[in-house]
Amino acid sequence: MNKGGNPRKRPPPPSQNQPSPATKHQATGEAPPPTPMEEDFVDEDVFLEETLMGEEDVESLILRDIEQRQALTSRLSKWARPPLSDAYTSQSCSISFQQLEIDYVIGESNKSLMPDSSGPAAIIRIFGVTREGHSVCCLVHGFEPYFYISCPPGMGPDDISRFHQTLEGRMKETNRNSKVPKLVRRIELVQKRSIMYYQKQESQPFLKIVVALPTMVASCRSILDRGIQIDGLGMKSFMTYESNVLFALRFMIDCNIVGGNWIEIPAGKYKKAVKNLSYCQLEFDCLFSDLISHAPEGDFSKMAPFRILSFDIECAGRKGHFPEPTHDPVIQVANLVTLQGEDQPFIRNVMTLKSCSPIVGVDVMSFDTEKEVLLAWREFIREVDPDIIIGYNICKFDLPYLIERAQTLGVAEFPILGRIRNSRVRVKDTTFSSRQLGTRESKEVTVEGRVQFDLLQAVQRDYKLSSYSLNSVSAHFLSEQKEDVHHSIISDLQNGNAETRRRLAVYCLKDAYLPQRLLDKLMFIYNYVEMARVTGVPISFLLSRGQSIKVLSQLLRKSKEKNLVIPNVKQSGSEQGTYEGATVLEAKAGFYEKPIATLDFASLYPSIMMAYNLCYCTLVTPEDVRKLNLPPESVNKTPSGDTFVKPSLQKGILPEILEELIAARKRAKADLKEAKDPLEKAVLDGRQLALKISANSVYGFTGATVGQLPCLEISSSVTSYGRQMIEHTKKLVEDKFKMQGGYEFNAEVIYGDTDSVMVQFGVSDVEAAMNLGREAAEHISGTFTKPIKLEFEKVYYPYLLISKKRYAGLYWTNPKKFDKMDTKGIETVRRDNCLLVKNLVNECLHKILIDRDTNGAVEYVKNTISDLLMNRMDLSLLVITKGLTKTGDDYEVKAAHVELAERMRKRDPATAPNVGDRVPYVIIKAAKGAKAYERSEDPIYVLENNIPIDPHYYLENQISKPLLRIFEPILKNARSELLHGNHTRSISISTPSSGGIMRFAKKHLTCIGCKALISNTDQTLCSHCKGREAELYNKTVSQVSELEELFGRLWTQCQECQGSLHQDVLCTSRDCPIFYRRKKAQKDMVEAKRQLDRWNF
Amino acid sequence: MEVDSQKLQRKQSIYLSFDENFEIQKEVYRGQQYSQIYFARLHMMRTLLYSLVPNWKPHIPVCKVLGLELGKVCIVVGTLYKHMKLKPCILDEYSKERSATPLVKPHNFMHQDDYLVLEDESGRVKLSSAILSPSVYVTGVVVALLGKETSAGDFFVEDVLEAGLPPQIEQPLKSREDKYVVFVSGLSVGSSSSNPLQFQLLVDHITGHLGDEEEQGLAAEIAHLVIAGNSIEISSGLLNRQNLASTDQSRLSDPIKELDILLTQIAASLPLDIMPGSNDPANFSLPQQPLNRCLFPGSAIYNTFRSCTNPHCFEIDNMRFLGTSGQNIDDLTKYSEAKDKLDFLERTLRWRHLAPTAPNTLGCYPFTDRDPFLIDSCPHVYFVGNQEKYETRLLKGSEGQLVRLICIPRFSETGVAVVLNMRNLECHALSFGTQFS
Repeated sequence: MNKGGNPRKRPPPPSQNQPSPATKHQATGEAPPPTPMEEDFVDEDVFLEETLMGEEDVESLILRDIEQRQALTSRLSKWARPPLSDAYTSQSCSISFQQLEIDYVIGESNKSLMPDSSGPAAIIRIFGVTREGHSVCCLVHGFEPYFYISCPPGMGPDDISRFHQTLEGRMKETNRNSKVPKLVRRIELVQKRSIMYYQKQESQPFLKIVVALPTMVASCRSILDRGIQIDGLGMKSFMTYESNVLFALRFMIDCNIVGGNWIEIPAGKYKKAVKNLSYCQLEFDCLFSDLISHAPEGDFSKMAPFRILSFDIECAGRKGHFPEPTHDPVIQVANLVTLQGEDQPFIRNVMTLKSCSPIVGVDVMSFDTEKEVLLAWREFIREVDPDIIIGYNICKFDLPYLIERAQTLGVAEFPILGRIRNSRVRVKDTTFSSRQLGTRESKEVTVEGRVQFDLLQAVQRDYKLSSYSLNSVSAHFLSEQKEDVHHSIISDLQNGNAETRRRLAVYCLKDAYLPQRLLDKLMFIYNYVEMARVTGVPISFLLSRGQSIKVLSQLLRKSKEKNLVIPNVKQSGSEQGTYEGATVLEAKAGFYEKPIATLDFASLYPSIMMAYNLCYCTLVTPEDVRKLNLPPESVNKTPSGDTFVKPSLQKGILPEILEELIAARKRAKADLKEAKDPLEKAVLDGRQLALKISANSVYGFTGATVGQLPCLEISSSVTSYGRQMIEHTKKLVEDKFKMQGGYEFNAEVIYGDTDSVMVQFGVSDVEAAMNLGREAAEHISGTFTKPIKLEFEKVYYPYLLISKKRYAGLYWTNPKKFDKMDTKGIETVRRDNCLLVKNLVNECLHKILIDRDTNGAVEYVKNTISDLLMNRMDLSLLVITKGLTKTGDDYEVKAAHVELAERMRKRDPATAPNVGDRVPYVIIKAAKGAKAYERSEDPIYVLENNIPIDPHYYLENQISKPLLRIFEPILKNARSELLHGNHTRSISISTPSSGGIMRFAKKHLTCIGCKALISNTDQTLCSHCKGREAELYNKTVSQVSELEELFGRLWTQCQECQGSLHQDVLCTSRDCPIFYRRKKAQKDMVEAKRQLDRWNF
Repeated sequence: MEVDSQKLQRKQSIYLSFDENFEIQKEVYRGQQYSQIYFARLHMMRTLLYSLVPNWKPHIPVCKVLGLELGKVCIVVGTLYKHMKLKPCILDEYSKERSATPLVKPHNFMHQDDYLVLEDESGRVKLSSAILSPSVYVTGVVVALLGKETSAGDFFVEDVLEAGLPPQIEQPLKSREDKYVVFVSGLSVGSSSSNPLQFQLLVDHITGHLGDEEEQGLAAEIAHLVIAGNSIEISSGLLNRQNLASTDQSRLSDPIKELDILLTQIAASLPLDIMPGSNDPANFSLPQQPLNRCLFPGSAIYNTFRSCTNPHCFEIDNMRFLGTSGQNIDDLTKYSEAKDKLDFLERTLRWRHLAPTAPNTLGCYPFTDRDPFLIDSCPHVYFVGNQEKYETRLLKGSEGQLVRLICIPRFSETGVAVVLNMRNLECHALSFGTQFS
């Protein structure tokens, strides 16, 4: 859902409403990576006392049913964390832990640690886990929110204190309700320099404004933005610096803490809390200056054994409605808890409403009321104390549902799920729109101290798939089909007996286990923790926030080192936001049967930024170019016309960040080769991946016009250099590698895009092409500024170039054997294509490229088209699926799947698809002139009623385009050859079994051989065909035989997926490729058997 | 030619068919699934195993999979399920990621990571054991297991009880004269490997048209012929075409006609049973129904011609025969291991199930109220057709059961038929060669 964007969207900045500046990039092909619509970073102060429930309330609530709970508590208590050792309880050892979550809360300042301060203050809370698996809540005191403004010239200490008073006065006006005695704590004069533009002087005076609470940064900023009256200067507005940094991130940057690293507090520097605020085993107070942050190296690169809870809930929806928390009960919650680093969960349990038969290896807890189920779950969370909560779509569905349901039921004590004692989870209203579930009001749940990791969000962020249902995602990554129980069946199972509820529980457990398995398979924990470490943001930011905060965090860290400050640029999103994207050389389409060498620029954009020292602080403004009179040998003028100084005058920060990232990646890769321990390998691999992604996202950050610090001079310079290099490479290759130069053939550049150039050297041998490729790469690299480097990586042979960004070829990295078939732009992941297209395209490419059998491919296409026309096609290959995002009235244009959903609702409201469901359909034959959307039909209905499909729709609207794309470079008249040949002449259409003209038809038995009518019902053949008995029988029986085989294979496969031999298959997953075949086999079997039985006379 | 004064008389026998069990008469496809046949199998086998448990392990509680408790020793009866990594899967057809890596050897899908699971109608439990080897067992076998649940949620098996050989009806009197039954399989008329002369020699031999008097005298003692499947081979390409050209029509019907002619010769002189096999024009799933009589217009008019089911069960002179055309054993060789084919035969007898892998990997009709493949009475002769070579062994059961196990080789490839002497259950190969060196 909500792809690419940010789920926590706040009111968008005004710039978004203006025409998108991205249009021009698309025209030129390459747009910067998607970083639009970054939110404005806003802190939100949470006051400790406000979130807590009255102590007495809770005690009484808990006391009320304490007896009922005792049994449960003892059942859960065995899963509690390991007990603390003496060294911990006596506070005699230092505490080091891996932190996972950092937030802050407003509370009274700690008197014992900071005797001088009083009143409310921000307390940083760091949650984490020690090596032994103890949970930690570290309360850090003394860190204050601040930001900078540039100091007006001539401001002395007296002026500053007067300014302080004025500001305090203005702040008091805007924060009337605040109980804080002093809003602006102090103003200091510091020497800093702005990151923007090359400046000759080392530093300038800045004012560091320290405020009492984090939210006051924003209110103070807006006062200064609007302007403030200063004695002697009049009304003056200020540019603020670093005023948009989230408080927790500010703290991390200043204390050198990166996401997911280890923190140590020496013995004696911490004080155990007098009264525990949290459920953590180790809770203590300390000063921010006493924290030791360890860089994630050596032993500190390891992961603590944190507890990962994977859960799933089932709700009993009403027929024909998606479950709603105000109506539909939560009936089961399945939980699996795994220790980080272990491959099996150590807790598996399921909480059910009403009795449920036991499940081997699973703790089944049954309750009579829904309230008990909910409370048992809360109790479980508290006892097991998970550090990370994962699941599939939990952030948008499961968690909000549980909380709203508890509200509906009036279970006030339920939402205490976080680690803070008696603190309710915070629920925020958000609206989100998604293609899968439509626009829906939803809640965002903050569970204090626990990281939420929604696998759906993670997969959507990192992978491009045609469908994100749990079923297709697990089919894609784990290569197994998930059993899918339709939500209308769930209620039936719940209303059955203990056995049927057990069935449901098994299903629910599987759904709870899949996210864990995806997490393991895709190495999400390692990759995300490493990403947090590399970029320095808390882990929770990675999923909930956009790309730019990662770059910003690195930029802030580096700037701090260099004594630079980053301005808070007001987002203007003006027309300056257009610049030319990357270049794509004209593709010379064709089928190349000679090896094509590919020359790639290794991380082109980062290299360009390093090579030409492109940065905010090296950019010279046009005025300065004139004014400063810089010597020409110490500046670079980029092809886009901007001027940057060379490193001799000022080394750029971005190039430095990039250099570090690339060096770190090299190191990580080298270590990876050495590493033996699989866990260590996972960490290092995650790290090198994170470093690569980070290096590539820097360019996007500078180009995101609505981002934090856009600088189009940088991004347009980068792309202009990129274009220049591609052109340069093409020219160089074609000039050097030609017959006049002593080479066998003239080289020809047939295609080039963003960072690669495809060259046909003319040789017909892969090895020779590789050697020439290597030679060319070396030769051309020598002409570029370091570290820009052209690399030879692979040869395509043969190579089918269709158009720009669309090609296919065999990929060779060694001369002996090809590695794989590589395709771009023609793989048919589009979700609105039917499976037939994908199979057809894959098979054709396979035949053309690997078998080198173009005629075979043509023959295959003809046979497939003939099968389609002759109605011999497996229906599941023809099913098109689309998500129903809103009801029919809301769509402006009539769409096939929406119309179908409406029709199905009229037939049977209970099984009709709802908003949020995916609607599969096929296009059927209908009266001439009927619109495509009127011809959509439910595949099941089609199967049951023998409705003829429309082969021409599939021929013209589905398969013709992709096919012609492939064959046009190969065949002369592809269209007439493939789509209008002899094979399209015979057509067969099935007769519908009911409705329409069939109501007037009279049924007669016909001879199996020649279809002549026969009057005697005992006979199979007419007298004319009698002699062909053996042959015709053979045919009938072979049909039956084929069907029987298929029937057996299909239904046993479903048993396999279901994981049970003794129970009927219930699955109705329409995403499963064999669902329709299974149904069809069952139906065909009946008919074939009837035919066969006619022979038994 | 001088006419022999003493005419040879062919031995007669009393024949009884028990194929009823394998016939599909009223059963129809009504959307039923395979769970019911497993249910029926488990039900029947459990009753049987429960009756054996008191003698096997007295005083140990019997429970269902759900009733297992951590660490408590008990006995569970259930259907085995073997989780196999390499087992081919129909879904793979869809996620066709063409790779350059070679496919697994097609004749066996075993892998060292395979493991067994025990299932009853209440649930499943993963088995861990040193004595229950996954390579021996297959999905669908019902056994009783003694063991306990471990903390990992597995069931640790300490002992296994199989149902064992079923009881046998008393052996007929031994004191009779020699009387032979001939078994042949894999005639494959119409295939490139079949040699018409070889088959003709076989026919001539058993009908007594070959050799001297002594040989004819032996032939006269053959009382019955069993053809265990794969008698005809029709190229599959022919049947898939929409409309057959007239030349192809004859290519399709010629082998059938040829077989009919030869069968007519046999049927004219002695009784024969013909069973369908995997290549025959019959249905695919077990039990395969008798080949249609319309295929054999010549031989079908003789009352000595019997078209039977596969599996096939019958009695000759009170001696019980049970056999298949080989699919059940072929499937076991794909999904389990044994030192020879006869071991597989023995196992199926001890499991009391002809085809445990049906329906899981072996096509089978979705029966609703019974499992026809259960063996409730121990045969005296147990044969399978279409094997690579002739093998035989006499199996002795713990309760005095005596079973002759026979693997019948493919005739078209080996030229071997098998002759069984009903007097003493002795067995020998009958080899036909047309090559002279």
